[in-house]
Amino acid sequence: MRTSRPLDVYRLVWRLPLLVWQGAFFVVPLAFLAAMTFWLVQNYRMEPAFVLTNWQKTLGRSVFWDAYWLTLGRALLAGVLASVVAFPASYTLAFRMGDSARRFALMCLVVPFFTSFLVRAYAWQVILAEGGPVNAALGTIGLGPFTMLNSGFGAMVGYLTLVLPLVVIFQTWSLAAIDRSLIEAAGNLGASPGRVLVSVILPAARTGLVLGALFAFIMTFGDFVSPFYLGGSKPPTLTILIIDTTKSGQQWPRAAVVALMMIATLFAVAAAALRAAYGGRR
Amino acid sequence: MTDPLVRFSRVHKRFGTYVAVKSLDLDIQRGEFLALMGPSGCGKTTTLRMLAGLEQPTSGTITIGGKVINDVPPHRRDTPLVWQSLALFPFLNVVENVEFGLRMRGVGATERRDRAMMWLGRMDLKGFETRRIDQLSGGQRQRVALARSLVTEPEMLLLDEPLSALDAHLVIRMQGVLTRLQKDLGITFVYVTHSQSEAFSMADRVVIMGHGAIEQIGRPQEIFRGPKSRFVAEFVGRNNILGGSVTGGMMATPHGPVPVPTADGMAEIVVAADRVAVSRNRPDGTAIRATFLSEEFAGTGIICYFETPDGAEWKAQVTEAQLADLQPESGQDFWLSWDSGAVHVMRG
Repeated sequence: MRTSRPLDVYRLVWRLPLLVWQGAFFVVPLAFLAAMTFWLVQNYRMEPAFVLTNWQKTLGRSVFWDAYWLTLGRALLAGVLASVVAFPASYTLAFRMGDSARRFALMCLVVPFFTSFLVRAYAWQVILAEGGPVNAALGTIGLGPFTMLNSGFGAMVGYLTLVLPLVVIFQTWSLAAIDRSLIEAAGNLGASPGRVLVSVILPAARTGLVLGALFAFIMTFGDFVSPFYLGGSKPPTLTILIIDTTKSGQQWPRAAVVALMMIATLFAVAAAALRAAYGGRR
Repeated sequence: MTDPLVRFSRVHKRFGTYVAVKSLDLDIQRGEFLALMGPSGCGKTTTLRMLAGLEQPTSGTITIGGKVINDVPPHRRDTPLVWQSLALFPFLNVVENVEFGLRMRGVGATERRDRAMMWLGRMDLKGFETRRIDQLSGGQRQRVALARSLVTEPEMLLLDEPLSALDAHLVIRMQGVLTRLQKDLGITFVYVTHSQSEAFSMADRVVIMGHGAIEQIGRPQEIFRGPKSRFVAEFVGRNNILGGSVTGGMMATPHGPVPVPTADGMAEIVVAADRVAVSRNRPDGTAIRATFLSEEFAGTGIICYFETPDGAEWKAQVTEAQLADLQPESGQDFWLSWDSGAVHVMRG
């Protein structure tokens, strides 16, 4: 018992960086954001108040809900698409490559982050343009030209550009960590390669696969570069709605309502995903 | 003798430039308990894995029940293996683990649950069916792994050092479980181990492997009492080895002539530690002089270690009473002797 006090101080010191970080950069801004949703805007200036107008005006309009379902749907689709597209690459990295080749490949996946995502989005604008190289290539076999920019497709290309490397890294780590004897044991007990994948590899790598999809969802849900520069910003996603709201008449409190709705959604989705990743049995 | 269940014919296995198994010829009979034993890197596990299809022979053929199975993928073979790590599925509970093989073979839900429960009962695991694997003790996991492998009623069971992770007292108990199980089921067990006591206490026949090749095959006692090579003599039991040139039934050794019942020429003889007598005074007959180094309690007796003047290590097994009589001190000289019947000649 006598040792419990110094021990507590010791523990606190080690937890302090995390507590300070979470407090300074998450809890305090979040509280401020929440308070701001009840403020008034008069003559383009915010005034502290307690009114429910911002909530009523924002949640009462169909433009918000259209944007909400569009953003949610796209983020879910991007999470699933990124997971499916990334899986063959992750599988190859995890099971068909040596340790050093895998390390090199994973490092290469980090390299795209060296350039701003904005620059990468601009690159796609050139590549996917009506007179760009993709349409030129399709034209040689008599197809197109297709309008790929300023559409859901364009936005999805942007989303996948943003999240694919991260999803591959998550998946590869979880696949490579699977005990090889489990895979051999499944085959030994009569499982064909396809059934080994479904009955052993996927459940054994569940945590990393779900977390990869979750990160893809989170990043896509809050991304504004893809829908703005590649998706044509119409119909607007929630991020574009926030920009529009702040631009028109300094409506920061209403933008804060949108932001809080986004955070609430992310919490709900993340909680469900973490449950799927770690909880329960199978 | 009936046709063997398994036949390895001139099987080679190379990993890159490393030869893991060379020119292996081995028959495994139906219903026998065969142990593959040897030091690590001797090729015993590779041999077992080739039988399960987890490795492909570089050349040669392996037949099971008369059919060549070189190109049959693992999941089409009926060769369940118990892994050293057990390889139980952590995302499935106990009964789901046991059912796995039946599920993969398309057995209906009710039947496979019944069969899995029957095996859990047989393995003394009733009541554990919904436990997670990490909620079981080492011995319980062991039995789940056995049930999982046996639930499909295979003709043979392969075991790769399955007891090496268990506590010593559990090893003895599991040895009993395994031998009884093998006798009751009447199926073939192929058991890979580096442990002499496991191989000799359980197996009908023991295969000693070294450097990718078979050194000797025989019943435990045959190998224990009659090692055919220096490798086997050094690996098995506690043997003293003496080599030299034989003329007229006497071998010339650094300790003087020793009677050896073999033809003239170079020969090596083995005298097992438990056949060596220790005395302070020179006994009649053959005896060699050696300096006492230390003793070691070995359960069945006490092993005394000696060094001969030419630097060779000699071992003698004595009883506790004998040790109390001798009162050996490190550095004291003794006489080591043996009956002529105790001599085993390796090169005949």
